[in-house]
Amino acid sequence: MARIEDQATLAAGPGDLAHERAKGLDAAFRFGAGALSILVVLVAWELFARSGRVTMFMLPPFSAVVARIYTDALGGDLWINLGLTLYRAMIGFVIAAVGGITLGALMSRIRIVHWFFDPIISVGFPMPKIAFLPVIMLWLGLYDVSKISIVVFDAIFPVVTATLGGIASVEKELLWSARNMGASERQLIWQIALPAALPQILTGLQVALPISLIVTIIAEMAMGGYGLGGAMMTASRFADSRGVFAGIVEIAIVGYALIKALAVIRGRLLAWHPETVERS
Amino acid sequence: MDGQGQIVIEGVNHTYRPARGRAVPALSNVTLQVRPREFLALLGPSGCGKSTLLYLVGGFLPTEAGRILVEGKPVAAPGPDRGIVFQHFALFPWKTVRGNVLYGLERQGLPRAERDRRAQSFINLVGLRGFEESYPSQLSGGMKQRTAIARTLAFDPSILLMDEPFGALDAQTRSLMQTELLSIWQRTPKTVIFVTHDVQEAVYLAERVAVMSSRPGQIKAIVETKFEKRDPSILRAKEFVEKVDHIWNLVRDEAIKAQELSA
Repeated sequence: MARIEDQATLAAGPGDLAHERAKGLDAAFRFGAGALSILVVLVAWELFARSGRVTMFMLPPFSAVVARIYTDALGGDLWINLGLTLYRAMIGFVIAAVGGITLGALMSRIRIVHWFFDPIISVGFPMPKIAFLPVIMLWLGLYDVSKISIVVFDAIFPVVTATLGGIASVEKELLWSARNMGASERQLIWQIALPAALPQILTGLQVALPISLIVTIIAEMAMGGYGLGGAMMTASRFADSRGVFAGIVEIAIVGYALIKALAVIRGRLLAWHPETVERS
Repeated sequence: MDGQGQIVIEGVNHTYRPARGRAVPALSNVTLQVRPREFLALLGPSGCGKSTLLYLVGGFLPTEAGRILVEGKPVAAPGPDRGIVFQHFALFPWKTVRGNVLYGLERQGLPRAERDRRAQSFINLVGLRGFEESYPSQLSGGMKQRTAIARTLAFDPSILLMDEPFGALDAQTRSLMQTELLSIWQRTPKTVIFVTHDVQEAVYLAERVAVMSSRPGQIKAIVETKFEKRDPSILRAKEFVEKVDHIWNLVRDEAIKAQELSA
């Protein structure tokens, strides 16, 4: 044990340049390792599908799925489905974000709003909101508005909870300082409490974003029509197994891209935060 | 201007009521007068209510019993006539040094050019020129507290309320900051209430030291600590050491009592 520690000290010794290089290598290695494990899964998929143990219908090889995505992209179907799914998920996400932050801020400042909504949020958060999908279909039909409504309904909870928690944990001294300098109640919430709570609010949004995508796909599956989820159900009905697997790969890529994009936005918005400052 | 920065505290009581648990009497019948442009240290063991008294003068807590007059008017709410500096700086972490110092000036509705000029001059005053665009998370503890002091001085309060402002700093930074605070105070005279539990710091900085008793806090003694010259060399002078000794004896009994209270 002692020897390992000695080596660690020695390794850290030779100065900043070596340290920087080690950090760069480390990052590259981590990215490579992450990509590698996915590559292993894809290769295993390809080999297993071609091994003859399963039929093409049960599990088409990855290469066939990629070929299918390519054809869909050339034909334009992919872009229509992708565009509709993204449109529904993002509109729902943005409404949930704006509504959730507003409701959280109001709840933290106005007692009666808190009194009314707090039990609803507590009961509603752990509940599977997707259970309301049949109700929403009855009320609003099978149009975009019903899909977006169920997305908002599901994604708003983590945003409200994160905003409430974030504002509640703002240091008293920050608010006092601002009051001391002449900030009004309204300025206190907009200029101090919300920016101070931003790290937690962004964490809430990072939870709400995959929820938005998941619920969009489920709603599309249940209601049919265009969109990645609807296209998968159609493919399934026509026993088009490549189409189903193409949908799975497309959703995985879209989900990953959205999460990464939000992480980049977080880094930009929190340029001042120790989590960002220490990394740079 | 006569009476500017004068503070009168008369028969103030305060009870601390936590959300759970029983109420704790924090201050009992505190009476104290602070003269205009005086540097007064409020000294006492931890938990004696000295910060509470400061928050009452600042208007951050409501006065329950007794009265507090600032320049003849009872304190009702926080205001830019009383600037506060906290132990843990309370900087806005999403604003740069300049943004922090500008915040109070923006609330006062000064024209932009005037705000920028004032902010820069106070940043220079506390020796942070070149760090205007740094965020608090990029600064050392001493630099954070300089920023907080510049932010408070910038909106020109006639009273400065300092709540153990150097308590979170290391010993070297602390002694540098003490000397710097004195030189700033000599250049921009203000009434200062400086809360500390460090006897030497109190005697070095203040013209008078109010010694508080352990909980519930009362003013136990007020000691004049005015010396002819104020610079670090005085720390070894005989008269200074004797004053520290005298006050330390006053505080010690209270510190022991405070320890027994918390044990």
